[in-house]
Amino acid sequence: MRLGRRAFLGGALAAGAASSVHGCTGAPRWERSAVRQLSRSRVAILPAGAYDGGLVEIVLRGLRLFDMPLAGKRVVLKPNFVEHDPNGVVNTHPTLVAAAIEAFRRAGARHVVVAEGPGHYRDTEHLLTATGLHAVLREHRTRYVDLNNDDARPLRVGSHYTGLGHLYLPETLLEADLLVSMPKLKTHHWAGVTLSLKNMFGCIPGAIYGWPKNVLHWAGIHESIVDINSTLPVPRFAIVDGIVGMEGNGPIQGEARQCGALVFGEDPVAVDATAARLMTIDPRKIRYLAEAGRFLGNVAEERIDQAGEPIDRLRQDFRVLPMFQALKSFA
Amino acid sequence: MTRFSEEQLVASQNRDGGWGAQQGRASSTEITALATLALGRLDTPASRASATHGLRWLAARQHDDGGWPVSARVDDSSWATALAVLTLDVLGREPARAVRGARWLLRRTPRTLGVAISLLHRFAPSTLAVRLNPDLKGWAWTADAASFVEPTCYALLALKRVRRHLPGAAVAERIDEAERMVYDRMCRDGGWNYGNSTVLEAELWPYADVTALALLALADHPQREPNQRSLRALRGMLQHVDSGLSVAWATLCFAAYGEDVAPWRGRLVERYARTAFLGETKAVALALLALSGGAEVFRA
Repeated sequence: MRLGRRAFLGGALAAGAASSVHGCTGAPRWERSAVRQLSRSRVAILPAGAYDGGLVEIVLRGLRLFDMPLAGKRVVLKPNFVEHDPNGVVNTHPTLVAAAIEAFRRAGARHVVVAEGPGHYRDTEHLLTATGLHAVLREHRTRYVDLNNDDARPLRVGSHYTGLGHLYLPETLLEADLLVSMPKLKTHHWAGVTLSLKNMFGCIPGAIYGWPKNVLHWAGIHESIVDINSTLPVPRFAIVDGIVGMEGNGPIQGEARQCGALVFGEDPVAVDATAARLMTIDPRKIRYLAEAGRFLGNVAEERIDQAGEPIDRLRQDFRVLPMFQALKSFA
Repeated sequence: MTRFSEEQLVASQNRDGGWGAQQGRASSTEITALATLALGRLDTPASRASATHGLRWLAARQHDDGGWPVSARVDDSSWATALAVLTLDVLGREPARAVRGARWLLRRTPRTLGVAISLLHRFAPSTLAVRLNPDLKGWAWTADAASFVEPTCYALLALKRVRRHLPGAAVAERIDEAERMVYDRMCRDGGWNYGNSTVLEAELWPYADVTALALLALADHPQREPNQRSLRALRGMLQHVDSGLSVAWATLCFAAYGEDVAPWRGRLVERYARTAFLGETKAVALALLALSGGAEVFRA
């Protein structure tokens, strides 16, 4: 089952969990247990000008703005590592990953692991060593889990946009107390933007779904993003690497765009909506975000409490491909 | 390194006889097939015993339809069937199982992109976001998905070995079409990535591991210009890529094309000493194969 464009754009706001279980057609689109939307969400934007040693304090500040119980917890950091391009800004910066490892440990986390399942690229050793992530992991004595090859088990899908009855998910994630999505702030040539929700594509094991995870493309990228995020049964947090983002033909071949911001939050939908606004992109026009905003979190600006810097101070006019030009209009 | 990697493989075998992507992970067909293949060609008591155990794991996991699942935890027969077929055929064990697996591969067809895309490709190819010939079928990673390079290459390697057991023209036709599909997906300057050479008019770059694998799958056409172009591209990529997986595949590839691989073997040994390939069982198995003259297992 694929959602039509009209269905995606219609009714971005959920009136409430009970009433939103059924879509306008009457067909159930998500399970009651998948509803995570609260009446309000909190998002923080903290300025960060460079990838340097000061990031640990900034990340720590970001964490402290959210009253999360981290003592003794198992935390999985899920950055976005796609391919190695020595001249590009494809991946979450390893220095930010290092800062997050350190910050979560200082905040009391018992175990911090880094996990990723790249969508195209199978040579993990090259990806980790060439990008510098391996050096970070070694320095911080942190385990890396290749989610593409992790042990996995099937979970019933929390919503019904793809028609996939279940999704195999890696045990490392299912055993975590907190899953931290750490995407790069990027435009995306199929989805419009790729942020903390789209980053969860990397949680789907390639050994089962392939490289790329093509069956999800057939099921619909927007639909798959919603279904994956509604299925992950783990508490979530997001830290978006917007120090240097990518504009244009993202997620791999776009150009670097300095933005100087980190975006934090417990509601990944609200985080992504805020990050999209930072790029001067209307999140209500991103199909998967509009739909996630019905039951997974908040997209509407009036339902997001903004901490840290106001968006306008750090907002950048990210270039998009011509087919996404309509996303730039906030009308 | 041959001794170390052999010992590492034997030591990382799970109690059920299979191997996982890393030590301690659940056994998977892909990794078990490659580790069994690497150890099964060696002549030490430990490797022979380990390979026998691996073969038993493979035999026990074959489905009634002839295919193999990705792992014991997943129900459906999968792309990894090709590697199980290859291993059984190379080691000369369980020939009937290999043929049943090959027949499963022949029944397996990828999803097509539809008539509309096919017509656009013929009459207005520049309107397509991804530049490829949608009519050419290889193999997909999963049911209900389109052809991609890596599963197609594994299927080619397996079918080219076992086609002597499969009478009729269907095998040759399927191999021919899959080869054309692989060539169609080649990057402009040679080499392959997962399977798209151009997206939204932007050229994508090739990957060393997939390029070497594709060249192995096409090694019975060594003089073709795309093969030669891709060999050059692979050498270029290896100036920047030093991982166990890529160098092992490349060593096997260059050996299959009759090149001197002593320098590549040296690089493999040096890399293993530095990183132990980050504990990736697949890379260790392929390296062991590369260091023990294993390119012949990929010969049609």
